[in-house]
This record gives sequence, structure tokens and C-alpha cells, in this order.
Amino acid sequence: MHVALHYLGVYGVGALKDIALTIVSTILSIILGVLAAAGRLYGPKALQIAIAWYVEIIRGLPAILQLFIIYFGFDQIGIHFSPLMAALIWLVAYGVGYAVEIFRAGLMDVAQGQREASAALGLSPSTTMRKIVFPQALVAMLPPLTSFVVLQLKNTTLLYLVGFADVMYEARLGVDATNQAGPLYVMAAVVYLIISLVIGRIGMRMERRAAAYR
Amino acid sequence: MHTMLQQWALYLPDYLKGVGMTLELTGAALLVALVFGFILALARLSKIRVLDWAATGYVEIIRAIPVLILLFICYYSLAQAGLKLSGPVAAIVGLGGFYAALYGEIFRGAILGVDRGQREAAEALGMPRSVAMRKVILPQAFFAILPPATNQLSNLIKDTSLVFTIAVADIMFQANSALSQNFLPLDMLLLAGVIYFLFYLILSKFLARWELNVQRRRS
Repeated sequence: MHVALHYLGVYGVGALKDIALTIVSTILSIILGVLAAAGRLYGPKALQIAIAWYVEIIRGLPAILQLFIIYFGFDQIGIHFSPLMAALIWLVAYGVGYAVEIFRAGLMDVAQGQREASAALGLSPSTTMRKIVFPQALVAMLPPLTSFVVLQLKNTTLLYLVGFADVMYEARLGVDATNQAGPLYVMAAVVYLIISLVIGRIGMRMERRAAAYR
Repeated sequence: MHTMLQQWALYLPDYLKGVGMTLELTGAALLVALVFGFILALARLSKIRVLDWAATGYVEIIRAIPVLILLFICYYSLAQAGLKLSGPVAAIVGLGGFYAALYGEIFRGAILGVDRGQREAAEALGMPRSVAMRKVILPQAFFAILPPATNQLSNLIKDTSLVFTIAVADIMFQANSALSQNFLPLDMLLLAGVIYFLFYLILSKFLARWELNVQRRRS
């Protein structure tokens, strides 16, 4: 019990780092994901194929392998990242691969009729996108986006392997120091469980609000 | 490029041992996940409240915990509590337990997705619930299960790459030990990437063909 109390504060600091990294990487992945999804749907053929393959590679390779290639692999060709930089680059690179598919599916989900109706009303393609298609697509995208944020949060558990000092890193150090693998790893699980549940709650609330636009 | 291929050839036998371990783990964990997942789905659909609550709680909690922590709990925490599992067994329990929650949801969704009229028709014919489940509901739910189940299988293979952290000699483990010998991390990680990507391509090809077959059969 004493050990658990001692590590509570340490875990708190680590958890804040994980949360910050999750938020930053999610925002960046969403911005780049929207652009890539637009490129995938409406760009020139070569760009479409390039983005499609990028998505396949991100989805086809294990998360840990991607992180290791960025941190250890690039070192071999003289590109050196700090643990934080490697973590951020990987989370965004990985996130974009998943975000593209969410946005693509969301945009295609909006019925063709909506597009045609706004064309008939004489709205320009960009206005149609901004005012008609995107708001409706967003509603369809909320549930997968919520699971996407949870996925990114869970991915931060891998970062201790490249020396990023988050919850898992502290847990590993704690176990080495105290030999209390039981309470320390269960506590780490509880930390992630609570954060995931909070994200799920926020997502559900946003869905309920967005439902008004349906 | 030349040295990379040379190194690949040199370490290929080790990687193939890793492939064997990865496939064995995947198969065993899949079996656990399918059986336990089916039990979870039935529990969530059962009329006995306690079973429903227990299964729902399990699914919600397990899904929210990162796989890596589950593996650590199965390997290190259980050992401290006196239940010492070997690395591969801990991996199978951890991965199987996690994917059981996901497969349980797939099964539940598919069973609920079968048209209500089918259940009512079976009841009208005087079939007991268990026979209706076996002969009417499950055969129809099966086709709805295939695409998401294959998708999760490809995720399961990728997640087996985490077991090197609990000292199980899978592909990732072999890659790490090779790169610590020849100090060529990019080359050795890329070989692992090629292998994992092959698995992914095979599965997604199968997936596409299966989905086509399902559509053809149902239309």
C-alpha cells in the first residue's frame, strides 16, 4: 500500500505527459488526415495511389515496429531523434494513416444527393464542402474519432521502450526498484482505464449534441 | 543495399524461428479469444442479469486497457501473486483475454443483427431456444462475423509483436537481438517489416475474397 501511495504522484506526472502527447498528436493527425483524405478522394491519380499505400503500410505494420524504425532505424542513416521527437513523429505518422480512412469513410457517407442538391442551388464546390458535406460527415465521424483518440492514448504505452518518461516508464522503474509488479502494473492499468473512460464520455456527449444536426 | 541483403540472408533462419513463434501465439490466442468471446457474447445476451453485467463489465474494462499492460500483468503481476506463467503462456492469456472482449462484441452484434422474424419463426415452429440458436440464428450470423473477425485477426498478429517485452522469442524479438549484434537497426527492422506486411497482405486479400463470397452467397 505504501508503495502504491508513493507512486501515485509519479504516475500523475507521467499521465499528464501521455495526455498532452495524445492531444497534440490527435490534433496534428486530424489536420493532416483531412488534407490526406481530400487528396485521396479528389487529388491527382499519383497522389491517390501514394496515400493509399501509405495507409496500407501504416495499417499493415505493428505499432512497435514503426516506432522502432523511427527511433532506432533512422539512427543508422544518421537521423537522430530525441525520445519526445520520435514519440511525436510516430504518433502523428501513425495517426494520419488511421485518420485518413475515418475521414474518407465519413465524406463518402454523405449521400450523393446532398452534393447534387447544393450544386443545383448554385453553391460552389468549396462552399458545398464546407457548409453541406463536412458538417454532416463530422456527425458520422464522431464515434470512430472517439475510438481513434483512445487508440492513440493506448499507443503511448509503447513509448517507454524508446525512453520517454511516461506512466509505463515510471511503472518499469518502480518495479525494478521495489519488486512490486502486482500493484504497480495494476495501477498503471487503472490510470489508462480512467483516462479511456473519460475520453469515451466526452465522445458520447459530443455525439449526443451532434445528433441534433441529423 | 548489398550489405542489407547479406545481413537479411544471415539472420533469416533466426527470423523464421520467430515467425514460427508468432504464428503459434496467434493461433493459440485466437482459439482462446474465439471460445471465450463466444461465451462472453452468450452471457451478454442471456436473460440472467448477473451474467450480462459480469460480461459487460469485463468487455468494457479490458477494452480500455492497453495490451502491453495486460501482458505485463499476466507475466509480472501474476507471478508476484504466486501464479507464475511462462512467457508464451502469459502472452496467450493476455492477448486471448483482450481479443475475447473484441470478438465477443463481434459475435453479439452479428447475433443481434439476424432478423427478428427468424427468431419468431423458429419459436412459432416450437423450437427450443438452444436449437433455434444453433440451427437458425448462428448459421445466419456467421457471414456477418467473417469480415470483422478477419480484420481483428490481422490486428492480433500485429499485437503479438509486443510479446518480446516479456521475453518471448517472436519476430520482433529476433529483430532486436539481430540489431544488437550487427548494429544495423534499420536493415533488421525492415526485414521484420517485410514479414509482417506479407502477413497483412495475405490476410487482407483473404478478407476481400471472403467478403465477396459472402455477398455472392447472400444475394
